[in-house]
Order: sequence, then C-alpha cells, then structure tokens
Amino acid sequence: MRLKKITHLMLALLLTVLAVYPGYAHAEAQNASASDTPEKKTIKVGLSADFAPYEFIMTVDGNSKIVGSDVMIAEQIASDMGAELQLENMPFDSLLPALQSGRIDMVISGMTPTDERRQNVDFSDLYYVSRQVILTRAGDVDKYKTMDELAGKPIGVQTGSIQEEIANGIPDAQVTAVKSISDVVSLLLSDRVDAAVFEGPVAESQVKNRAGLGIAEAVPEDSDTPMAIAVEKGNTGLLTQINSTLERLNSENAVDEYIRQANEMNTGETAPGNIFSFFWKYRGFYGDGVKYTLLLSALGVLFGFLIGLLIALLRLSGVKILKWIAVVYTEVLRGTPMLVQLLIIHFGFATAFDIKFTVLQSGIITLSINSSAYLAEIFRAGIQGVDKGQMEAARSLGMPYGMAMRTIVIPQAIKSVLPAIGNEFVVIIKESSIVSFIGVADLMFQANAVRTLTYSGLYPLVIAAAIYLVMTLILSKLLNVFERRLSAGDNR
Amino acid sequence: MITVKNLQKSFGKNVVLRGIDANIQKGEVVVVIGPSGSGKSTFLRCLNRLEEAGGGEILFENKPITDKKNNIDKTREKMGMVFQQFNLFPHKTVLENITLAPIKLQGISKAEADKRAEVLLQSVGLADKKSAYPAQLSGGQKQRIAIVRALAMQPHVMLFDEPTSALDPEMVGEVLDVMKKLAEDGMTMVIVTHEMGFAREVGDRILFMDGGVIVEEGTPDEVFGAPKNGRTQDFLSKVL
Repeated sequence: MRLKKITHLMLALLLTVLAVYPGYAHAEAQNASASDTPEKKTIKVGLSADFAPYEFIMTVDGNSKIVGSDVMIAEQIASDMGAELQLENMPFDSLLPALQSGRIDMVISGMTPTDERRQNVDFSDLYYVSRQVILTRAGDVDKYKTMDELAGKPIGVQTGSIQEEIANGIPDAQVTAVKSISDVVSLLLSDRVDAAVFEGPVAESQVKNRAGLGIAEAVPEDSDTPMAIAVEKGNTGLLTQINSTLERLNSENAVDEYIRQANEMNTGETAPGNIFSFFWKYRGFYGDGVKYTLLLSALGVLFGFLIGLLIALLRLSGVKILKWIAVVYTEVLRGTPMLVQLLIIHFGFATAFDIKFTVLQSGIITLSINSSAYLAEIFRAGIQGVDKGQMEAARSLGMPYGMAMRTIVIPQAIKSVLPAIGNEFVVIIKESSIVSFIGVADLMFQANAVRTLTYSGLYPLVIAAAIYLVMTLILSKLLNVFERRLSAGDNR
Repeated sequence: MITVKNLQKSFGKNVVLRGIDANIQKGEVVVVIGPSGSGKSTFLRCLNRLEEAGGGEILFENKPITDKKNNIDKTREKMGMVFQQFNLFPHKTVLENITLAPIKLQGISKAEADKRAEVLLQSVGLADKKSAYPAQLSGGQKQRIAIVRALAMQPHVMLFDEPTSALDPEMVGEVLDVMKKLAEDGMTMVIVTHEMGFAREVGDRILFMDGGVIVEEGTPDEVFGAPKNGRTQDFLSKVL
C-alpha cells in the first residue's frame, strides 16, 4: 500500500514539474529579450557577461539585464536583419562550443580572431581594436614599468581568453587561468597573483568600481587586440549580413560611442555593506537561481531514483547480458567526472550526433544519470540485504517475481538504505551547481552574476552557500520525517 | 493429488535427491522424517518449485508442474507453504500480511479478504492481533499467522517446512495444535518435521528419507512400531 502511495506522489510530482517546465524552457540563461512574436525570426547571440564595458549585467528597476557595447552592436545587427535578439549568457570558454554545436548563431563577446579560433569558426570583419594593459594592486602600480619586470611573476587571466595567450608569452610567468573576470580580480586582491592581463576598457571599469586596483605602466607587446564576431564555420550568408552592419557602424564611428555610453552606464552598483541588506537587494537574482537549482535537483533526484532502481534490478536480474549492461553503466558513470559527462552530453552529442539538448535538459540528464549510478549501488545493497525468505514467502503465495519485488522486497530495501539515499539527494543538490558551467542560470550562476555586478568577492558566495545549506537541511528534515513514517513495523 | 516420479536434485556437485517416487492423496497427511542432510526439505521445496528439480517429474492435480509451460505462479496459489523462519512481511500489519495475496492474486475485495482473514485469525486465537506488526509478536504467534496467511489463499495442499524448529519449546504446542486441527478438517498436508510424537499422532503416512532417497514408508504404526530398514531403526533409536 505504502509503496503505491509513494509512486503516486512521485507521479504527481513529475506531472507538476512537467506542467511547469515549459515556463522555464525559454529562459535558459537569462534575459532572453523575449516578446513572443512567433512569425519574427530570433537570432541567438552568445556572450560572457562579465566583461564591462563590452558586456555586463546591470540591475534595471530591480531586474537584471545584460548591457554593454557588444549588446548594442548585437541590437543593430538584429534590427538590420529584422530579427528578434536573444542573448545567451555563458562562461567565455563555453561560447565557441555552443556556437559549433549550433545552440547560438553568433558570438559577440569581445572575442579576438586568433588563428586557432579561425580553425574552428569563421570571423566577421574587425569591429574594434582594443589595447591590453597590466592590472595590478594599487600599491604595486610603480613596480611594473616594463614587461620584463613581470618575468617569473604569478599572473592571472580568464580561461580561454586572448589575455591567457599573452600571459603565456611572458618568460617564466606562473599563469593562473580562472573562469571569470571577477575571479581574476579576486586572485589579484587576495595576493594569489601579482598582476593580471586585461583588456584596456575592462581594466578601467574595474579600477573605477573597485578599490585597491591600478593599471601599471607596462604594456604588453603587440597589445593591439582586434575584436570580431564569430559565426559557425561556412555560414557565409550570416557573415555577409553582419559585415554590412559593421561597415555601417564603422562609418558612423558608432562603436567608440557605444563603448563610451556603456562605460557611463557602468557606474558600479553601490552594494550594501551589511550582508542581509545585500541579500535583500539582490534577492531577485537568488530567487531565480533557486528556482533552477530546485527544478534541477528535483528532477535529478526523481529520475536518478527511478533509473537507479532499474539499474539495480537489471544487475540482480540474473540475466548475464542485462547484468553486464548494468555493471558497465555504473562503473562508467561513477568512474568519470560529472563535469566531463556534462560537457560530452551538452557539446559532444551536439557536434557528433546533432542531438541538441537545451542547457536545462543537458543539466537534468547529467544529474539524473550520474546520481542513478550511485543510487543503483545503494539499492543493490538494500535489495541484497533483504532476507531471502521474504522473496520465497511472497513467491510461495503465488506472487509473480515482479509483484514480489515491488510489494515485498523493494519497500524493505528502500527503508533500510534510506539514510544513504538521503545522503545522495543532498549530494545532488550541491552538485547541481556545475550546470552553471554550460550556462544554466542556477543559484551558482546567479551568485557569479551578482559578484560581477557588485565587484564584491565574498557576500555573493556566502549567501549562495547559506541558501544551499538551507535547502539541504530542509531535505534532511523531510527525509527524517519520511523515515519515521516508514519505521511503523519496528516498534516492539 | 501430487505424484512425484524419479525426482532428482543437485547443488553443484552435491547430489541431494537421488530419485524420489511418491504419491500424496487428497486429504492425506504425509510426514517426512529423517536425519539432517537427508534431503527432506529440498524434496518439499521442489514440490512448489522453490527449488527447480534437476530431473524427474512432478504432477499436481494431474498437471505436470515441472513442465516449462506450466504457470508456476498459478500452481503456487493452490499450494500453501509454511517456513521454518515464518517469513512474515515485517513492513505490513498482520491483516495486510494475510490479505495481500488474496486481494492481489484472486482479485477479491478488501472487505471480503478482511472477513476471510478475521475468520481464520479467530480459528487460531489471534483475532486481537490483526493490527499488530510482526515484530510485536512471539515466535509461536508469528508461525500461526504464517499458517493463516497461507490458508487465506484457500490452497488445496499445505506444505510445512520444519514449522516448529525455530520456536522456543513452550511455543511448539500452540503451532502443532493448529496443524492438528487443520488435519482433522481434512486438509492435504506434507510436513517435514522433527516432532516424532506429532508425526505419529497426526500423520496418515510416514516417509523416512536418508541420503536423498525414501528409505522406508508406511503408516505411523508400521514405521515407528516396527521399522524394517536398518537405517530407520538406527535413526529412530536416536530420536525417540
């Protein structure tokens, strides 16, 4: 009876989630400038919005919005094409894979057309040439007058960026590459690196908004860094349209003006000094993030549970081939990092088999199959731990194997491994944070957005940690209640 | 009702049954005795195919149940079984233990199943325990519930696998009384037991097994009173 209730509960949960799901489907990263005019074609532009003044996040009337000079260029291109603009915010090093897998139409993210990149994607004409500078702590500005003085120093850069290449060219430099610009600044301010290679205007906006930073006199050689728009290789039609817009903008000297405007907009948020008012001010970000984290975790737990149970049953089925499949499944998924699985499912499948999951789907699939491998082992232990006589008694009454498993063995197995299952659920909630890597706007993603927005290194992360903790504590509590309910037969 | 022809069974290299022939009539109470390791439990478990026979044939109500085409689940509905370790379902109440199979397998209503269970519980003196969980019961009570659970399927034959061996001595009597009453009501029963007094009193026929074969069979008076085979005499001299 009781298992039936659980099944019904799960089914209800699944249906609710599916009903809610379409609402989330559009708003993958954030700020799709979506007004639903179906006949109008949308153009998806990928960018990494922590690169002020080119692209960054601002709060406008309490809502977060991606703005910047690149965004203005994107708006011009879209309007020339008569298309609806949709911005897709994701980490910088996910941009090109997303482009190659056809999830976005172009990348406008201050990207320099290097030879390596040209091998994989096509670039438009240049739309801006910026210079590179050395960002350092305010007190160290005089230390680095020439590039030679940086030799052998620890230097911070953003992963996959042109600055990373420049830093690698400095003799004996110890280069640390991290995911976002705000991480680079945090490295610098926490004395982990002594200098960082930055895009000129980006460095200026950091200096303007964050105390303790300065720009050194040293200038990287060949520091002129051109920027161009990337499209999928061979997409000449789109490229021609982009180039004609860029030509028009160049003739109007518009890009310089956009950068000036964007710099003006980027006044930096004056973030409250008290963590509670800080949280209250940015609660919208965290609220949005929690929705995705909860959705991902709930579906990850649900499908992980069901698939895990299935795998455990295959493993115990006694049919050699099924058992073998289950063993391989479990070993492969437990023995490889979840991040690798996520990237293979999201980018690998898209390029190799043309299977294009949305970021949310990729996230849910990865979480589900990864946790199912762990849960399968837990279930197997639980099922094997149920006395053999239980199965025999059920079968002797005439119950078929499946019914005996379902009504007699599995409920007892689950009850005995409930604490271990609870552990795994908690792990799923926490691990769900890796989906921010492909651009799902979950709690971690939003915490990073707030970091970029406020130039604050600590509060956004402490708040995210606190919210994760609250979610896992609530889950533990719920599981305790459930466990007590199931222990009805234990009292003597 | 049950006909066993040349039944054989091995576990790996260990040969447990070396060709058993037996015939169990409707309404008959057959008690299987013998030293431990003689194969009597395996023989009983082969009858409802909890153990798959390695060779030979078993007919139940004239149907060959060892045949692959036979739906063993349907057959088992008519063969109740009682285990040494009771094997009650610990996560279900006494009433649920009893009514689960009739509701799920015979498709009767819960109300009807409850009524059937209550009548049976009454007959074994445990009507007041219907809402209890197995962990709250004594061994003797558990085994009586296990018998009722099997009876609730209204089986044509009851198989007992050492039903009193796991019980404290003072609880053996209450279980044997239930079985005795069942025998008096005309139930066909096959009982593996070490309770010689009970075997002699209730059994219509005794099978003495040793080394995987039936060494001697006959009425209780014949087997207990004047055993012909040396091994039977030897065994009985040790246990009586």
